[in-house]
Amino acid sequence: MTAGTTTRPGTGTRGSRILGVLALAGLAWLVIFGFLLSPADEVQGDSVRLMYVHVPSAWLAYLSFGVTAFCSLMYLWKRTRSLAWDRVAGCSAEIGLLFTGLALVTGMTWGQVTRGHVWDWGDARLVTTALLFLLFVGYVALRRLPAAPNVRAKRAAVAGIIAFLDVPLVHQSVEWFRTLHQSPTILRKDLNPQIDGVMLFSVFVGVVAFTLVYVWLLVHRNRVAMMEAQLEAGGLEQALAERRGEPVGTAAVGS
Amino acid sequence: MLRAALLVAGKDLRIEWRSKVGIVQVLPFAMAVLVLFAFALDGNRSTLRDVTPGLAWIAMLLSLLLGVQRAFGPETADGALDALRLSGLEPSGVFLGKAAALAAQLLALGMLLGIGVALFYGPDAPGVGGWVVLVTTVVVATTGLAAVGTLYGALSAGIRVRDTLLPILVLPVVMPVLIAATRAVEASLGIGAELTDAWPWVGLLAVFTLAYTALGLLAFGPLLEET
Amino acid sequence: MIAAVISGYVGTVVLGYSLVLGGMALFALRVLRRGRVLARQLPDEDKPWT
Repeated sequence: MTAGTTTRPGTGTRGSRILGVLALAGLAWLVIFGFLLSPADEVQGDSVRLMYVHVPSAWLAYLSFGVTAFCSLMYLWKRTRSLAWDRVAGCSAEIGLLFTGLALVTGMTWGQVTRGHVWDWGDARLVTTALLFLLFVGYVALRRLPAAPNVRAKRAAVAGIIAFLDVPLVHQSVEWFRTLHQSPTILRKDLNPQIDGVMLFSVFVGVVAFTLVYVWLLVHRNRVAMMEAQLEAGGLEQALAERRGEPVGTAAVGS
Repeated sequence: MLRAALLVAGKDLRIEWRSKVGIVQVLPFAMAVLVLFAFALDGNRSTLRDVTPGLAWIAMLLSLLLGVQRAFGPETADGALDALRLSGLEPSGVFLGKAAALAAQLLALGMLLGIGVALFYGPDAPGVGGWVVLVTTVVVATTGLAAVGTLYGALSAGIRVRDTLLPILVLPVVMPVLIAATRAVEASLGIGAELTDAWPWVGLLAVFTLAYTALGLLAFGPLLEET
Repeated sequence: MIAAVISGYVGTVVLGYSLVLGGMALFALRVLRRGRVLARQLPDEDKPWT
């Protein structure tokens, strides 16, 4: 029975390929809507089209890190403790960093277009996104440190929760920093609340497309992680086997 | 839990009292930071006065990093987070004790830093209301910093590259404290803000502190566990 | 089309979209490549999806 036998070794299955095609279709749909079918904003001109990739990127960043936090909790809770949770948490965080980076880049591009410079400390969303990035860069760096799998998982789980718990706090403090702070001149152009129906739909298309991309990336990244874990365990076993198999006469290395 | 907390806090503070690392190393470091800023900002008195709160809190954050390494230094040297675990003390109590000790040391540092700031940067003295805000802010913010520091300290115990990793872990998380505490102190000193502006910020600091204290109480169990 | 260019910023929008799609593509390629490399090193039984 073929569940999608691969002639080439890899992480693909029929299911994941279907998902991939759907994701690509979603992205194509987004480009079509973003460039052709949606109108330019009266005030912002075509730059509003950047919102159709910026907003979904930010959404997916939050979703990714939310998944990380959830998986971290699941790992820490004794009844559901399993390294699988830890593995997914790590993969989701990496993808989250990707989306955060994309959100930053698109946000800065949008800023360059609308206000003439790339960065603005008064732009609450931009600053919050940058901090979000920093928060989880530390998390991913922590995960890379060599340690026993369960030690690493526990550390990462707590770190993930610490980081995610901070997100609303960062959000609020930066938001107030912008509005309660002295500067009366707010140049940031908010997404017009009376948003055109097609524009809103374009954002929606973006979210759907990016979510498909997220799931696809997660599936593959997770499979890679499973293999990495296997190899790590296998490498350890091999080292132990070699130790045990050493002939008596050989100088034994004191452990 | 409280008994465990007092035991642990007492031990940590006694160690600190005997070794005096805080006074001999961390305080001079914090003072050096203040001097650095003064040089970087060209010793411009009016500029310094305006940015005093921010600079003071940055000095506190940097000192926090040192403090955390110190707080978990003796434990991890012999791999003896085990000692805490085997002591049979309740983990939440251990957290409370270590965080309290760290907070106490930071508060002491903060007070001395405040004197240093008053001397070097010359902000105007606050009124009575200002003092209330100032003290509240410092206490709440410092406690929050200590809670986060203790969490990460335990988390990173035993990591060889801890000293380079700790900053990138801790600093992003405490950004809200920096933002809120700076604004609150500014309001208390009347720098570009009214006194009443401070209270939302103090509220935010309180939420931060409560949240991370709660997390610490819950997470120390798993952190101290064998596996 | 000319009107679009004049209303401004189409080039920047194209840049933005390219960076987004390009970024995703790069990440995806890296993951897939690593997947292929690792899959070669492991027997099929160890992989739950085959």
